[in-house]
Amino acid sequence: MISFSNTVKRYPNGFEALKGVSLTIEKGELVALTGHSGAGKSTLLRLAAGIELATQGSVLVNNQNVSHLKEAGLAVMRRNFGLVFQNHRLLFDRSVFENVALPLTIAGFSHIETGKRVRAALDKVGLLAREKADPVTLSGGEQQRLCIARAIVNRPATLFADEPTGNLDLAYAETIIDLFKSFNQVGVTVLLATHDEIGLARLKCRRIALDHGTLTS
Amino acid sequence: MRTWLISHGHACGRAVRRLASQPTVTLLSVLVIGIAITLPLGLYVAFANVSAAASRVNTEPNVNVYLALSASEAEARELERKLRSMDKVQRVTYISRERALDEMKRVANLSELLASLETNPLPHAFSIRPKTNDPAALDALRKEIAPLPKVESIAMDFEWAQKLKRFATFAERIVLLIGLLLAAAVVFVTGNTIRLQILTQKDEIEVSQLIGATRRFIRRPFLYFGAIQGLLAGLVAVFAVITFIWWAGAEVSALTTSYGSDFALQVPTLQQSLGVILLSALLGWLGAFMSVWLYLRRVSNR
Repeated sequence: MISFSNTVKRYPNGFEALKGVSLTIEKGELVALTGHSGAGKSTLLRLAAGIELATQGSVLVNNQNVSHLKEAGLAVMRRNFGLVFQNHRLLFDRSVFENVALPLTIAGFSHIETGKRVRAALDKVGLLAREKADPVTLSGGEQQRLCIARAIVNRPATLFADEPTGNLDLAYAETIIDLFKSFNQVGVTVLLATHDEIGLARLKCRRIALDHGTLTS
Repeated sequence: MRTWLISHGHACGRAVRRLASQPTVTLLSVLVIGIAITLPLGLYVAFANVSAAASRVNTEPNVNVYLALSASEAEARELERKLRSMDKVQRVTYISRERALDEMKRVANLSELLASLETNPLPHAFSIRPKTNDPAALDALRKEIAPLPKVESIAMDFEWAQKLKRFATFAERIVLLIGLLLAAAVVFVTGNTIRLQILTQKDEIEVSQLIGATRRFIRRPFLYFGAIQGLLAGLVAVFAVITFIWWAGAEVSALTTSYGSDFALQVPTLQQSLGVILLSALLGWLGAFMSVWLYLRRVSNR
């Protein structure tokens, strides 16, 4: 369960990205965060994932206040999350396989177990045949799927995705949305930030709308 | 434990791959650090060799006490008893004036000249071996003996030993100072190499942190990188010094043999060589640690 209580996020330049947001996301839920650019969707995701800390109020993840966690505790918490970044954040000096293997290397998995899990994740997103490829040779959709494979390889309980269908054509976007739906169907909590109306219609899930850092619905 | 070992194996493997992937840069860095270590190691070995050569010379101090010409045999024996009872004295050898004259005749080949003398001009004397060679203690001993009856003069040959000791201490400090300065240089050179490595892996560090890597995990491959680089540099330094001694050793031996000495240059022992290599690895590790610590502190995402 992820719970925001009167959460405020103010950046050093004075910009208030979230202005007292309170909401709860239950375990196993599929939730879409909607709103225009700059509404605070990405900030909310980053606070939930412990990438940033709230200026005021609290963010609880499984009843643990993220702000109270130390560096090591925060790192361990993040290992239970899958993160799909808006700009993919792939490592272009590593192969497709190595990109997906990174979370498992961090978690200390053996070579054999890493190999099995990476291939399973790549198979899930349809990139198994490209495991030795250089990420730079992949299309935008493939790069996004690679990013998803890296997010799910650790079998996370919660998946955060920031604009996962941004800049993708319709066919690719539908594939990605369907992937998230399939993860949710096996019990993974999914929190998606998107302003893709077609994708939202396909998701058929609870929506949380943000506008200038406040909840509108 | 297994996870810990796997994690270290990964980090070490990545460090080795990175070093191997840039052979020219690695070679240059190792040579620069190696030269920085060679200098203090070479000075240390030179100092150790000079110390070894100096230790072959008899540097034990000796105190010679000369009595007044008027001192009788009985008075000399009484003085001998007092000298033997002193705490700082290890051994006392009495040299009567007759024995001194006989020795002089024998050693100096002056028998004819000395035979023409009407009286023996030499006094009774004592050769004293003190328990210590500490200059302060020897000076105290001189002050203790001087007021004793019939003591005319005291000759001490410890001043040159004192100078040698001071020179050795000074040389030791110079070697230590140079060693410390160059150790700092090794830390900075390694730190800078690691800083460049960090810049090329900035994205990877950021992504790793986002997906759950601790600072320790991020630091680990860089620490291995620095330590391995230092280790290789230590090997270079030991190899350079041993090669130099091997090259110059024959000439030094020929020179010392011409002076009737069997002195030869000594290479660092196995323990010393291993010590230098490990110290060098440690300095590399330290440079890497400082560099990564500074970077992570700067980009702390909290």
